[in-house]
Amino acid sequence: MSQAKNLINGSGRRTDGRTADELRQIKITVGVVKNADGSAFIEFGRNKIVAAVYGPREVHPKHMALPDRCILRCRYHMSPFSTDTRKNPAPSRREVEISKVMRESLEPALILEDYPRAAIDLFVEVLQADGGSRCAGITAASVALADAGINMRDIVSACAAGKIDNKIVLDINDTEDKEGGADMPVAYMPHLEQVTLLQLDGILTPEQFNECLDKAIGGCNMVYEIQRQALMQKYFGNETELKEEQ
Amino acid sequence: MQEIKRKYVVPGDKVIEGNFRPLMNVIKAGNSIIATRIGIAETGRDGVKVIPLSGVYIPRVSDIVIGKIIDHSSLSWEVDVNSCFSAHLPAQDVFGRDFSPARDDMGKQLAIGDLIAARIIAFDRTRDPMLTIQDKDLGKIPHGELLKISATRVPRLIGKRGSMIQTIEQATQTRILIGQNGIVVAMGRNLDGIKLATRAIRMVEEEAHTANLTQRVKALLNVPDSPQTEGSTIIQRPNNQKDEIQSTIEEVEEEIEGEKI
Repeated sequence: MSQAKNLINGSGRRTDGRTADELRQIKITVGVVKNADGSAFIEFGRNKIVAAVYGPREVHPKHMALPDRCILRCRYHMSPFSTDTRKNPAPSRREVEISKVMRESLEPALILEDYPRAAIDLFVEVLQADGGSRCAGITAASVALADAGINMRDIVSACAAGKIDNKIVLDINDTEDKEGGADMPVAYMPHLEQVTLLQLDGILTPEQFNECLDKAIGGCNMVYEIQRQALMQKYFGNETELKEEQ
Repeated sequence: MQEIKRKYVVPGDKVIEGNFRPLMNVIKAGNSIIATRIGIAETGRDGVKVIPLSGVYIPRVSDIVIGKIIDHSSLSWEVDVNSCFSAHLPAQDVFGRDFSPARDDMGKQLAIGDLIAARIIAFDRTRDPMLTIQDKDLGKIPHGELLKISATRVPRLIGKRGSMIQTIEQATQTRILIGQNGIVVAMGRNLDGIKLATRAIRMVEEEAHTANLTQRVKALLNVPDSPQTEGSTIIQRPNNQKDEIQSTIEEVEEEIEGEKI
């Protein structure tokens, strides 16, 4: 793949000043949508995404309900003002695909069998996009699901890694995604140590692939700590340990 | 009290390792017990459970709920119990065994929009909840101010042995019915009392996970702090809210059955 400009400068810094192993600034706020059962707002670098969860609730249309488990319905949507040039608000091919992969990356973490004949609706709205919005969306969605009190085996964390200037780096941003060599979004359950989403756009050698995957999983673990802190902050304030009494 | 270990957990956290019995909101994975909800994990003699701090109401057999009649067929009423499953109240439960759809007018007994206090008598993964109103203090709720709170806040609103709700009732001269499904009805002649009770209930809902809530509710209601009514169980300990959240479902039911409704 041809590269127009250098994405890593002489001192090893990337276009936004990060090192190869550095994540963008991440901030998660839990419980931002009042009417939702669970919600989260994530700022992942310049990405700004709201995720809202409704449910478990009744399934409409009723024929979609499954007798033995709950259905998860996911909608990933980019606001018209989220990109440089106005985006048509109608769901694009890309949004339909991301909705699907997002759902599939979250389903393994949820214990859907606990809510037969019900539905969980998940809405992920991108207010500002800057590359890696599906990872940020999954991260926020997972926090929103936990906030909604849905039974989960683990929290899903997501982070991308990729190749720029033939070097594997963590957390690809928009410029690096467009001009770099490869982009690999990964969603991961940190406690279960299982990957729930693995996509790859670009070309990597087997060695590069392994390095990239390891780096992305490392990034997911860092993201997990932020997710955990955000949830703890909402429910327990600054206390992290319960003081024993009696 | 026997030894109970408590800690804050989020989904996926390991509560404890070893051979313990999973009770509520936990799963067993290999040799460890994993939390599935955000909440306070408790490891006791009988097993491990997580007291959730968020989530919608999922019906359980023998819960007392407050529901709204939304429809009726020729044999049963359909009741909205603030859950993802709509409940059914069989007409025979109201009219007796000799109910006849041709003779008896269901709309006369319970019309669409009526509020009822009912008990869940049957519910499992394959069936929608079935209700009964054949018990003391169950049945139609004639009037009152309807409030919805999160079902996870219900034990906190009732408080240990009903302390919180009794405080609110006495201070505001109201009667408050609480359903396990998070629907609350405040009744009374005094409109200001109902307003004040509503504010107190909202305060309990919003600040359920903070310490010394009983004191703050009392301050809101202008009730002097009396150590006698509080007893030795809930006095200004840093985490007294955990004691109250702990009030088991059985205790809660007794409260609702015995005194509140």
